[in-house]
Amino acid sequence: MGELTNIPQWTWEVAGYRLVFNSETLIMSWVVMGALIVFGVLSTRKLSFIPGTAQTLGEVMVTAFEGLVNDALDERNRKYFPLVISVFMFVWLSNILGIFPGLSEPTKDLNTTLGFGILGFIIAHYAGIRTKGFKKYALEYVQPMFFMAPLNIIGELSKVVSISFRLYGNIMGGFIIIMVVSDLVYSLVLPPFLNAFFGLFVGTIQAFVFTMLTLVYISVQTK
Amino acid sequence: MGIEGADLIRAAALMGAGIAMGLGAIGPGVGEGYAAGKACEAIGRNPQQAGLLTRTMLVGQAVSESTGIYSLVVALLLIFVV
Repeated sequence: MGELTNIPQWTWEVAGYRLVFNSETLIMSWVVMGALIVFGVLSTRKLSFIPGTAQTLGEVMVTAFEGLVNDALDERNRKYFPLVISVFMFVWLSNILGIFPGLSEPTKDLNTTLGFGILGFIIAHYAGIRTKGFKKYALEYVQPMFFMAPLNIIGELSKVVSISFRLYGNIMGGFIIIMVVSDLVYSLVLPPFLNAFFGLFVGTIQAFVFTMLTLVYISVQTK
Repeated sequence: MGIEGADLIRAAALMGAGIAMGLGAIGPGVGEGYAAGKACEAIGRNPQQAGLLTRTMLVGQAVSESTGIYSLVVALLLIFVV
């Protein structure tokens, strides 16, 4: 039960400031990145008409998301498709990483999910400015009346908070429930099923929801 | 051994965590059940669209879950930070 309050950290003194890194989160993020790079190289190295195993997996991923992205974005903004599918693959692999012994989910840390939320927020607004022009983009904030501007701005900012806290809370809550129940039953019988539910099922759904919401934010800004 | 101020703060924080989680779980429970019921009705009326309906239902449920997640975060803060 001590793993919750004991977070492994690296500290680094630089120019009078003390920088703190959550080492476990960083290492697990690198594991995910390495796995994704290996998958990317394997699935695109020898492209053939009759695909191999890795190429089939990649094609399944791309075709599964192609329809969703084509529904949500118009022709000019189709270029955000690689971003959306990369976010999905990273978050999904991060969420299910906890079912492997010795590894833990990087999305268990609020820093990771908040980073992804801010990334999606900035890209959505950049896409909005690029598509509509700055004047039209800025005018959206004074709809329907000029004094509604603070509410609109808070509404936009709360999207970042809600999307990142949702992912963090789901993964962290699942981790805590797995830990507490494993402690109660002395790690007998139940933990594999709990891992299957919280790791695979909830992890997949939350990764899908995170991706869909990022896509919807981009789509709302560019409409 | 007497009860001091720090003990009272700890007890109040733990109790607050329990109340926050218990009350905060009502809304998402009702909302997700309502969404699932409506999805069941729609699938019964139109079974060909079951895949699309299930996907939409899951996304909507995960979104409406966020208030429950906020109360979970508040409860965690009360337990481990206060």
